[in-house]
Amino acid sequence: MSVFTILNKNIKWRFHNAFTIVITILQPILWLVLYSAVAGQTMKNTGIENYTAFILSGLIILVSFSTCSSSGIMNYMMKSDGSFYRILIAPIRRSSIVLGQLLEAVLCTFFEVGIMCVISLFFSVKFSAGIMGVFLIFILVFMTAFFMAGLAYRISLILPNEAVYETVMNAIVLPIFFLSTALFKTENVSGVLKVAININPFTHVINVLRELILNGTVELSNIVFVLLIFVLMGSISFIWALNGLKKELSL
Amino acid sequence: MYAIETENIIKQYKNGVQALSGLSIYVKNNEIFSLLGENGAGKSTLIRILTTYLRPTSGKVIMLGKNIYTESKWVREQIACVAQQTSIDMHLSLEENMLFQSRLYKIPKIEAIKRMKKLIYDFGLERYKKYPVSSYSGGVKRRLDIALNMMSKPQILFLDEPTVGMDIQSRNFMWKMMKQIRDEFKTTIFFTTHYLEEADSLSDSICIMKDGKIVKQGTPLELRLLFQENIIRLKFSTDTEIRKCIEILTHFFPPKKILIRNSEIIIHSQDIQLYMKHVISLLVEQNIPFQGIESIQPTLEDVFLRLTQREQEECV
Repeated sequence: MSVFTILNKNIKWRFHNAFTIVITILQPILWLVLYSAVAGQTMKNTGIENYTAFILSGLIILVSFSTCSSSGIMNYMMKSDGSFYRILIAPIRRSSIVLGQLLEAVLCTFFEVGIMCVISLFFSVKFSAGIMGVFLIFILVFMTAFFMAGLAYRISLILPNEAVYETVMNAIVLPIFFLSTALFKTENVSGVLKVAININPFTHVINVLRELILNGTVELSNIVFVLLIFVLMGSISFIWALNGLKKELSL
Repeated sequence: MYAIETENIIKQYKNGVQALSGLSIYVKNNEIFSLLGENGAGKSTLIRILTTYLRPTSGKVIMLGKNIYTESKWVREQIACVAQQTSIDMHLSLEENMLFQSRLYKIPKIEAIKRMKKLIYDFGLERYKKYPVSSYSGGVKRRLDIALNMMSKPQILFLDEPTVGMDIQSRNFMWKMMKQIRDEFKTTIFFTTHYLEEADSLSDSICIMKDGKIVKQGTPLELRLLFQENIIRLKFSTDTEIRKCIEILTHFFPPKKILIRNSEIIIHSQDIQLYMKHVISLLVEQNIPFQGIESIQPTLEDVFLRLTQREQEECV
């Protein structure tokens, strides 16, 4: 119950600060609309027919990064002008406080992913995923956003202010995004870069999402591998965030 | 049973700062207990420990008969805290803020609405309901902060400098509310303040802190009677006159009995008539002009200064 109390309050925060929705979705939309139009011409030589459809899976992950990063900003705002400290001395579980905030970031991610998908329809993107495929996409987006939200939550409790926080989050998110298969195929990449791309767990979630969107199917071993990795990463991220909150109480 | 009992609390922050050094206090049920101390005396740290926000490095805290660390959930249900910084969510309306607090404490909705209406009325917040919370003045925000903390009907309410920055009307209103909270809701109020007249007029018990320790605890009357001395107050119009006077007086009176405060010199004395006669004759002989001289009873402020500013007195 307490989780929903916190979640409900945070959803209201998000709509009250609607600019956070605009800011977090603006960049992925620009990538989707402008970058895919410009780069699409070149990418035809690499065998990619609809480049917008190709990068959509990567941009879904980018949206999740942006939205979850902005949920960390909420901690700064609530500390300076809100109920952050009051909630900490209320008789509710610390895990409910963290979970309520992470779930808000996940919900906002779904909202923004929905907008991205609708826009992509105007660029001839065809979704081949059936009901099972959509369900798997839903699970993958949930897990990615949950992991990122946990990471953002903890980092926001460590760093002193919003400016430093945003810089650090960009320094984490952008390398992860560019060192993945979000924007290009990796067949022609070799050496250290190829290793870096392959050990990036987001490469694998992007590949699976892409398979589901474009072909509607995915190899069972791939989906199981990604699900296991993200269950592990999400759990670690949640525990790390929870410990961060508990540390707030043991200065 | 006391509302709050602490035994020998020590708090050393991880950065090495020692905020509390073996502090023991006792707060009775249903009283207004005020904590006085200079900035950095450890008042806010103590409130943070008592509200389960911080853990002490060592020591024992019993609240309403229960250990606050082994039964922190139960204790949290019995307390509320209005911190120095208001803790209202600006994105929620006045009523949403109050209902959010009730949900944190799992108060049934019908009961929560009933309590909310009463508190809005009691705290004079009705006319602000339709405006966004972010547009409220500091005083109204503070009232709302206290009102929403009363939603859970706490047995102990902590107020950390509740009237700081308030105009006189808002402060008077707040004083009235604090008495009402104690009398009507039977809530023990534990508050910190820098305004001594506030502590004097509101408190059943006063505790004076210095350097993380309790210097004295008692009723306002007991504290005023602490120094069985009267005071001679000399008023001057310039600092030069004060300096000249101090030079003379320190030859005749023990330095620790003399204190400079604003444009006044305060002399603590047990034999007021003899001292006053002596001071007047000295000033006249030395031709030092002064605006006035009077004999007064020590106020709580005098007691506070005697207890907390020993070094400054000795400097004189």
